[in-house]
Amino acid sequence: MSRKTKEPKIREKVKFTPALWITQLVMLGASALFLAPLLIILNYSFKTKKELYVGNPLALPQSLNLTNYENAYKKLNLEVTFFNTALYTIVSVLILALLCGAAAWAIARNKGKFFQFAYLYFIIGILIPAQALFLPIYIVGYSTGLVNSRIGVILMYVATNISFGVFLMTSFMSTVPVELEEAARIDGCSIYRTYFTIVFPLLKPAMATLIIMQSFQIWNDYLMSSLYVSTNRLKTLTVAIQSLFSAQSSDYSTAFAAIVISVLPITILFVSLQKYFIKGMTVGAVKG
Amino acid sequence: MRKMSPSLRKQQMQYLSLVLPGMIIFTFGLIVPMFLSFYYSLTSWDGMTVEKPFIGLGNYVKLFSDPYARNAWWFTIRFTLWNTIIQNVAAIFMAVALDSGIKGQKLMRTIFFVPCLISAVVVGFVWLKLYGNVLPALFKLMGLQGSLAMLLGKEETVLQGLLIANNWQWIGYWMLIYLAALQSIPSDLYEAAKVDGANAVRQFINITIPMLAPALTICIVGITTGSLKVYDLLVASTNGGPGRASTSIIYYTYSTAINGRQYGYGSALTISVVFALLLVAFLQVKVLKKREVQM
Amino acid sequence: MKKFVSLLLAMALVLSLCAFAQAEEITLRVLAGQSTTDAGIEDMIDEALAKKYPEIKLEWECVDWGNDFQPKMQVYMQSGLPDIMIGKAQDVSTYGSLGLLADLTAQPYMDNILDAAKEGVTLDGKVLGMTFNCLYQGVYYSREIFNELGLSVPKTHEELAAVIETLKANGITPFASHMVDTWSIGNVTMQFAVNDVFNKNAVWGDDFRAGKVSFETSPEYKTAYEYNKLIYDNTWTDETFSLEQTACDAKMVMGEAAMKVSGSWSIQNFLGIDESYDFGIFPFPNQTGDAKLLFEPNITFMASAKSEYQDAINKVFEVIATDKDLQVAIYDHTMTAPMVKDVAPTFANPSQTDIDAYAAAGMIQDVNLGNNQLVWGGFQEENAKDIAEYLQGKLTIEEVLKASDARRDNSK
Repeated sequence: MSRKTKEPKIREKVKFTPALWITQLVMLGASALFLAPLLIILNYSFKTKKELYVGNPLALPQSLNLTNYENAYKKLNLEVTFFNTALYTIVSVLILALLCGAAAWAIARNKGKFFQFAYLYFIIGILIPAQALFLPIYIVGYSTGLVNSRIGVILMYVATNISFGVFLMTSFMSTVPVELEEAARIDGCSIYRTYFTIVFPLLKPAMATLIIMQSFQIWNDYLMSSLYVSTNRLKTLTVAIQSLFSAQSSDYSTAFAAIVISVLPITILFVSLQKYFIKGMTVGAVKG
Repeated sequence: MRKMSPSLRKQQMQYLSLVLPGMIIFTFGLIVPMFLSFYYSLTSWDGMTVEKPFIGLGNYVKLFSDPYARNAWWFTIRFTLWNTIIQNVAAIFMAVALDSGIKGQKLMRTIFFVPCLISAVVVGFVWLKLYGNVLPALFKLMGLQGSLAMLLGKEETVLQGLLIANNWQWIGYWMLIYLAALQSIPSDLYEAAKVDGANAVRQFINITIPMLAPALTICIVGITTGSLKVYDLLVASTNGGPGRASTSIIYYTYSTAINGRQYGYGSALTISVVFALLLVAFLQVKVLKKREVQM
Repeated sequence: MKKFVSLLLAMALVLSLCAFAQAEEITLRVLAGQSTTDAGIEDMIDEALAKKYPEIKLEWECVDWGNDFQPKMQVYMQSGLPDIMIGKAQDVSTYGSLGLLADLTAQPYMDNILDAAKEGVTLDGKVLGMTFNCLYQGVYYSREIFNELGLSVPKTHEELAAVIETLKANGITPFASHMVDTWSIGNVTMQFAVNDVFNKNAVWGDDFRAGKVSFETSPEYKTAYEYNKLIYDNTWTDETFSLEQTACDAKMVMGEAAMKVSGSWSIQNFLGIDESYDFGIFPFPNQTGDAKLLFEPNITFMASAKSEYQDAINKVFEVIATDKDLQVAIYDHTMTAPMVKDVAPTFANPSQTDIDAYAAAGMIQDVNLGNNQLVWGGFQEENAKDIAEYLQGKLTIEEVLKASDARRDNSK
């Protein structure tokens, strides 16, 4: 069939047998169940405070009023928090992509003891619960002067996410052909040049996976940002939203609008990069 | 390797320089705090005063006789086991179903995945509302008692309630990994099986499952380590309650160290969690890798 | 791709530098531990400050007092406290005793603060905090329902039991409650304890630590714990552990329940849902029939003893203590009662007449009598969790009391 060239899978176009019909129906039902909470969030985000508490929870809002969104915009200090969150996410993820790719490549191409140790050393990080270490993490932060600074929180994101990144990239490396690199080396290319001109471009699918996975983790992070950048000027979106539904203000109608605002950008990113993401996943999943 | 020693050395140094920046940041960000935590675990520090009285292994002894810690572990273990089973089974079946050629698979894939893009704190809050208001209203509409839907409010059902919320969030994520693995299975394998006269079930057992083994390793390790660390989900939903019925080990660690002002003991709990996680992951990788080889 | 990366990195660096560049004027760091009604006052203070002292800027960090204030303070004790901290009056005894707070006794603006507000924040003769408002705690009740059924405010337990019976007979849930919030269980328990335990022995908590009294041997404390069961049996029992505060308050406003053991933080919800809701307040009856209405000094401003900007801090405090417009705005927004002299909020508080009556009769009591002796985090909070398990039938009352005794070392 014509699609053979595009994706590795794809059997012949399937006939709709009864079994397939049932599958179709079951999956339709399942997606409805998965979608329902999302729709409820959307529904609630338009309700007035009164409708939220007094009215029937299942009813639609009487009008498509945008007051909650206006309030959310104001209360979240959206220009600031959105910018902060985007900045921390983008910069951390790019640094991660750079560092993880390079480290993973060096590890994959060297069988020496040190590099083997480096791999295990990184992997241990996946198992350390950063939540439980927050006071020592903070103590390290302030003794290096990195608390309440943008650079500090970015470095913390790199530190806490690098393990998974190295793990992912290392498993991808085995699919990168060594021959090209060796040819380049014989031509006199330095390691750095080889990495940036030859290897890096080949890593794109894995990079895409890494970027998406880490982006939504960092975008949604609560703990690190509440610890490292908690002043109103440096605050992130998630921390601002959390304060909307903590006992501090219990402003739920605004909170739902805020949730929609915060989920949208990351969803758009996922939907638009979906193709690369799945490609990268394929590699990770097969070469685990 | 036909290179001469000096240039090989230079090359090694260059490789090293690619690994080191990451290692340094990682060391300061996570490893140093972990050692600090170990040091605190040997003290009776309350987290506030300047002096940190050294008490040796006392905190670790206390660990074994603390009924609240036992209770928190028990909740965490049940939460983890159920998650591992439900998420893997559901994710595999949903991946296979999506891959079977049904219509609208791209849209469905997105719908299943979107929940994991939402922060766990928010997910907890949303489900608190769902169980507290929306579902009871729906139950009443169906002529049932509304309080049946309030899963988070009873010690007996709070685990179920949290499992549903957690699975809603994560099934789509693991499904995507399985889907990716499924789509990379060469189709000639299936064709060969068909020629041999194998039916769909046989194909699933003999081809699909073994070919999914590497993905299964990733997913099981990912789900267990993730569930053992559960904390964010509880912050905006049950707060560990009712009573202490949904207090996970990390939640207990946090509330002991911070709210309870027993930082030393809390640190000992932290270290024990890290050890448990290391042990579990090590065992899993060992066992699962071995099975992969056999298959 | 490479260019793009380096461009973004450069951009990030420039941006973070810009953020530090504008440090000409004085900027004070403020950690605000806020509870239910306080969010939003930071903008009002900024505005008032800008009028009088435009050279002083405040850098706010607003957190939830119940969950995040103590962890934040803990963290800052490692690195250096913010210049100004806003907490509750009970924080003064926690942090003041560690020598962290500046002495405000001699500051002229302190003359504007009610003397009653200074008692709870004085340590060794030094006033270490400026208390700004207070919350009243007790049983909020719907006047409409009470009038309709011809009920009067109960003073004894027999009277309360009669009220409960009448309400039930009329298909009205006697008590509104939201026990999903552990803090709410802890709060009502302390209300019970102040009127049944601490009003009999004002140093019960200190005696407890000294080993003179215990929960297990105190019939009064046992009763205080058991009142929770009375509430639980007479509320929406199936729902209370799934219902958060605003939803609970809404149900009460809609007439589903007639009473709620709570505090002034509910007023914002009551009036936010129905501005014509008519309610009053009375103290939860105690064994001896002489229960007092409780008040809790709330927003309390504290200054770091180590800050290099004491002058600027005092200017900020002066604005807060003297600017009448600002004060009225804050009281109206938070719907709380003033602890500052000569100022009256303009919002209509239906329960004010009751409060005035108890105050005139001398029947009011600072709830921090109990809170200062038995700390919240690690003690009252853990006891409240035990009480939740008792209500759900997992523990007996004796086990709960024993567990509280076992926490003796952690009670302060």
